[in-house]
Amino acid sequence: MNTQFSPLWTDKSSDQRMTGTWRSALPEYSNILSPCRVACPVGGRIAEWVGQVGTQDFHGAWTTLVDNNPFPAIAGRICHHPCETPCNRAVLDETISICALERFVGDMALEEGWAFPPPKAAQKQSVAVIGAGPAGLSAAYQLCRRGIGVHLYEASDQLGGLLRYGVPAYRLDRAILDGEIARILDMGVTVHLNAEVTDAAGLQALRAEHDAVYLATGASRAKHLPGLDYSQPWVIDSAEFLAMTNTGKPTSAGQRMVVIGGGSAAMDVARTARRLGRDVTVLSLEPDALLPAQRVEVEEAKEEGITFLCGAKMQMATPTATGLTLDCTRIDFQPATARGAFKATPIADSAFTLTADTIIPAIGQDADLARWQEVLKGDGPVVGTDANCQTSLDGVFAGGDLASMERFVTEAVGLGKAAADAIAAYIDCKLPSQATPSDTAGYDTINTAYHPTAPALRPTHVDPDKRLISFSEVQNPLSQKDAIAEAGRCFTCGTCTTCDNCYFYCPDMAITKQGQGYLVNSDYCKGCGLCVAECPTGSIRMVEEA
Amino acid sequence: MTIVPRNIDLQLLNGNQAVAWGVKLARPEVAPLYPITPQTPIFENLIDMSSKGMLSAELITPESEHSAMASAIAASATGARVFTATSSQGLLLMHELLHYAAGARTPIVLFNVNRTPAAPWGFWPDQIDSLSQRDTGWVQLYSETPQESLDTVIQAFAIAEASKLPVMVNHDAFYVSHSMEPVSVPSQDAVDAFLPPYQPELYLSTGIGRSVGAPIDQKSWNISRREMDAAMAGIADQVAKSGQEWGGLTGRTYGPLEHYRTQDAEVVFVTMGSLCGTVREAVDALRDDGIKAGLLKLRLFRPLPEAALRASLKDIPCAIVLDRNYSPGTGGVLHQELKSALFGLSHQPRLHGMLTGVGGVSVSARTIQKLAVAYRTAKASPTPIWVE
Repeated sequence: MNTQFSPLWTDKSSDQRMTGTWRSALPEYSNILSPCRVACPVGGRIAEWVGQVGTQDFHGAWTTLVDNNPFPAIAGRICHHPCETPCNRAVLDETISICALERFVGDMALEEGWAFPPPKAAQKQSVAVIGAGPAGLSAAYQLCRRGIGVHLYEASDQLGGLLRYGVPAYRLDRAILDGEIARILDMGVTVHLNAEVTDAAGLQALRAEHDAVYLATGASRAKHLPGLDYSQPWVIDSAEFLAMTNTGKPTSAGQRMVVIGGGSAAMDVARTARRLGRDVTVLSLEPDALLPAQRVEVEEAKEEGITFLCGAKMQMATPTATGLTLDCTRIDFQPATARGAFKATPIADSAFTLTADTIIPAIGQDADLARWQEVLKGDGPVVGTDANCQTSLDGVFAGGDLASMERFVTEAVGLGKAAADAIAAYIDCKLPSQATPSDTAGYDTINTAYHPTAPALRPTHVDPDKRLISFSEVQNPLSQKDAIAEAGRCFTCGTCTTCDNCYFYCPDMAITKQGQGYLVNSDYCKGCGLCVAECPTGSIRMVEEA
Repeated sequence: MTIVPRNIDLQLLNGNQAVAWGVKLARPEVAPLYPITPQTPIFENLIDMSSKGMLSAELITPESEHSAMASAIAASATGARVFTATSSQGLLLMHELLHYAAGARTPIVLFNVNRTPAAPWGFWPDQIDSLSQRDTGWVQLYSETPQESLDTVIQAFAIAEASKLPVMVNHDAFYVSHSMEPVSVPSQDAVDAFLPPYQPELYLSTGIGRSVGAPIDQKSWNISRREMDAAMAGIADQVAKSGQEWGGLTGRTYGPLEHYRTQDAEVVFVTMGSLCGTVREAVDALRDDGIKAGLLKLRLFRPLPEAALRASLKDIPCAIVLDRNYSPGTGGVLHQELKSALFGLSHQPRLHGMLTGVGGVSVSARTIQKLAVAYRTAKASPTPIWVE
């Protein structure tokens, strides 16, 4: 245009004003993790699937969930849910009930009969998975999805491992367990029951037969309490007690039982015994506040009439005419700074006695390393593995309680997934993909103006007096209405909900919609950061430019 | 062109009423206004004229002077002829947008009634309110009488629209704004002949993809100021041209400067606004006493007509600047400007700066006469002198 005041008037689009030249930092939408995902043993995209529950996309939520964990109904019941601890929502009011929401989604999938899609690729390679507990089943699932053939070898006559033999039905209904395992088998896993691999030779034979082997035989050997004669009929191993009861077999335990230990297994033993009509006392080294079991398990055990003697130690058990006398003493417990290195000092003149019929020590399980020691190296209490889950034997990978001291079901599921990733890369002669380090969305990245305070909706529990008459589940599910409301409380930290705030607030119209996300036009973005400030989910961050 | 016979249309008007008549005759299309003493009668008279159907301008009454000026800029950018008026605090509240209006080259005419700015609170004639706006890019004219205010506000539209610069016309509170005199009100035909409708080549319209004042790069901003500089350079001639044309229509001719008995003067007073009337009286009395005094009235303050000032004061032995304003730390603004304007002139007058009438105090002809006697042979001084 030939104008009198050329720079003042323009008939051109403001597009020619490249305001991007003013910028020193550019907004970026990717690579921000929610704190729950960072804490999740399977690395689950929690903010994403909780958001999907909030928008009532339940099948979408399930699909997101099972990308990392094929057991949402199981984990939704028994996971120790470390995800809830760092939840940003706790700063505003209360954490999100992530675990209960996972159960809601998992239960819906079983009720609706949602199935995993069959593997697309032809099954050319095969992997032997030894042990059908949470780690082995998780690995089998992840391998199957990739089109890799899986042969699952299980020593017993049923699948599930600890889930079946260790976790009581009042915490995990057997129909749920069976349903979630069957769904994996339907993908085309070849199952070998009663197929225990007993020695190194057996392992090497399977290695020769398959492209790789995943060893996940768990930690099946009970730790022994020093000074206790395990050959006596009044001493019962906790794993054996639970396995007998959980498979419907009678127990020889007497009426008065003392359970030694303070972890989840001890709670499972004690509460199972209560349901069998026994009088139960829990004796633990740790004081009440430091019991290793989940708090809810301790509280429920107390509600169910179990006596706790915390901060105490049994010195000796002596048979008498009417049972046993347990000589005990109070102890001063100093928590461990390194694993297992706690201090338990008897307190002088604090001796007392208990009477009982049966003692069940539940002080932990060890992996059976002796079977493999000819071929597998390992210095500690578990099989040694490298960063890719591989043992000292080429093509033999290990995971779960056999290879880790993180003795939680979902830790085992996560290890199985990680091993499947590594095995797939091994078979294809590729390096496993390395996760790129990412920022975690902190509370200060959430614009809480968009999140009104609202109390958390928690699952209710069956009244204590109604629990002991059966092995029915204690925890009630969230209703659909409550699940949607609870999911609606989620900040969905670091997870874009395509709310369009950034699009609308950008003063330079430098943000455009692109598919399910947004693009920043660096020609015009001034780097003002309004998009970041107005993002309700902390999904955008400013990245300094050189 | 119609020549209007003189003095057949005399009305007894005060300065503010005269301004309202001038505005009415200039046919503005938009007038955003906010009342403030002592400007309010301009506002009231325009509303009165509007209610009687004498004025077709759209009167906007926003919540502040800042918004009034914002409205004025927007209206002017659409090609409308725009008038607004204010005083003192109101002008200062407009300050941010005074820069904007000039930068956007919107030919708004603003009438400012010079009044002391707070604190302390006051309503008195003092020109520091408008003089402190001298760097905003507005043309500034100062009027001595109600008649001149009427004539100047009409000429201001011609000057503004020819230069695409906003013009501020000023007269002193009360001495001019509220003092009555017989004022010749020209006919609408005469004014229409002088001031045709404003028809800019560039304007904003919803039907045209065009914008004004959008973000710009450094070089283009620089160019915008060079363009303003070029426009400012043509203002003195434009003021003279408009004043001549007006004289042809009304018999009242104006220019950037007015000389009163300066021909052979040994001492010349330089001042602006209502004080000029008192100086005329003093000049006559001094002449009667045998002292060759004169008055150089500055009508155009911004841009300062430097060439005309240098030509007028060359070979004058003594010049005394009378400032009805005070710029703390320097003294009188006009004194300061004169020192600058005369810089490097050979045979320049011995210059004296007098702070007279600051805060609206009365300055008598007698006081002015005494200044001539006391300073006509004194050495020049760069520092100002407070006059009792």
